[in-house]
Amino acid sequence: MEASEDQIYVIIFATIFLGGIMSTFVISMVFIHRQRQAQNRQKMDQIKSEHEKTLLNIENEIQQETLTYIGRELHDNIGQLLSLAKLNFGSIKPEKQSEGKEILSQAIQEVRGLSKQLNLDWVETLSINEFVAQQLARIQNTGFCETSLEADFELLDLPKDQKLVLIRVIQESLNNAIKHASPETIQIRIHESGNVKRILIKDDGRGFDASQDSQGSGMFNLRKRMETIGGQFELSSAIGKGTEITLTLPN
Amino acid sequence: MMDSRFYQIFTDWYLIAISFLLIVGIFYFLKLPNHLKVSKIFWFPFLILVFTVIYENMGGYLKYNFEFNKLVNAALGNEENPTYNVWLFNIGYYQIGTILYLFLIKNWLVPSKKKYINWLVFVFIVLVIAIQLLGIEPIYTSQPIIFAIGANMILVGSGLYFIGLITEDNYLNSNPFKLLSFWQMTFILFTYSLTYINSVALLYLWNINKELAISLMQINRVLGVINLSLLVLWVASPKLTNIFETEPYYHGSI
Repeated sequence: MEASEDQIYVIIFATIFLGGIMSTFVISMVFIHRQRQAQNRQKMDQIKSEHEKTLLNIENEIQQETLTYIGRELHDNIGQLLSLAKLNFGSIKPEKQSEGKEILSQAIQEVRGLSKQLNLDWVETLSINEFVAQQLARIQNTGFCETSLEADFELLDLPKDQKLVLIRVIQESLNNAIKHASPETIQIRIHESGNVKRILIKDDGRGFDASQDSQGSGMFNLRKRMETIGGQFELSSAIGKGTEITLTLPN
Repeated sequence: MMDSRFYQIFTDWYLIAISFLLIVGIFYFLKLPNHLKVSKIFWFPFLILVFTVIYENMGGYLKYNFEFNKLVNAALGNEENPTYNVWLFNIGYYQIGTILYLFLIKNWLVPSKKKYINWLVFVFIVLVIAIQLLGIEPIYTSQPIIFAIGANMILVGSGLYFIGLITEDNYLNSNPFKLLSFWQMTFILFTYSLTYINSVALLYLWNINKELAISLMQINRVLGVINLSLLVLWVASPKLTNIFETEPYYHGSI
């Protein structure tokens, strides 16, 4: 009888023990969940703040680029137009006076066009296809190289942050091609395979050894920026064989 | 005379409580919109509720209708203890109940972990059939080995759920105290762990100290009522959106 009483105590204690273990387990899980939740929130806040910082930098860079462009336009284009208008108004000939007026109207149009670019509102109204076409036209107009754009579809309705990043990455990729590659042609293709949308920027310039691409390079920043919007940046290049950049858009 | 026995059996607090829960469950299930009625998030807990209440009441009926119980026991090969209705609980609670709870847990797991539950169920069914066919644990007597295997599988399922709770972003973004799955999982865990020793040593305790066996079985009953109440809450959850959060993972087949 004593043995069986002992066994009964063992059963009771074992039950209490198992219950205790389970309680500890559940409480520990809740505790770990809370800790990880806090860490997760901190991580999310950090990612969000980095994303905002990146966007702010991109906005600043686009504005800087725009100001440089405006400065150049003021000096090379509007400045010239105004000088010409001044010369024409200085003449006593009526046809020169009317030519001066026309030149002045043209200068006013140019100033209006430039003023629209001073803030970033144009980002919202312009599609990526229009932006790319503008950029390529500018390059072609300088006579630097030939350009071409092929688009299977119009990239519309992108969120502003994605649009800003894409604009900046395309702008920077084109700047790099102009500054370092001396290409004869620059091609941009906007295409879709499956559900994946891509922008391909290809030049036939000098190219470089892509394996030398270090973390400090501009390419690293471009890759990181594409990743902040959930996209991808891929680069392939070889010396003498040009450079190909593929921007994969987020789904 | 017969009526007083019937009255005595079916006025047991446990049977009254679970029958009441079934009525509440049916009420809320009927009030569900049609598209939710066909969603397994609602019909599956309801199925477990209906199944549990039916076999528990059936257990009471077997105590009342002794002749029928004796007939079934004899058919199963048990002529030694014709009053035992343990065969019903072996099938209902230890076997089908365990499989149903494993599938319930599967609903809350991340898609990549659902396959483990399929394997657990498959292995459990194979082992249950093998153990019974080999005569290791006949169906008409207490089945501690089968219960222990089932309870361990439930514990593994619980482990998978809690791992998801502390690693998956969707769960980390939720408040566990507002997740019905957390409470259900916690009480399933408690039910199987607190009744583990009791169920394994049931026959032994029944012979040695019947009073203690009945007292320990009360743990089973209290936790059973809590589990069924939570199943009712699942069915009623569309009306309780201010109390409970939406479950992060409930997609995937049963």
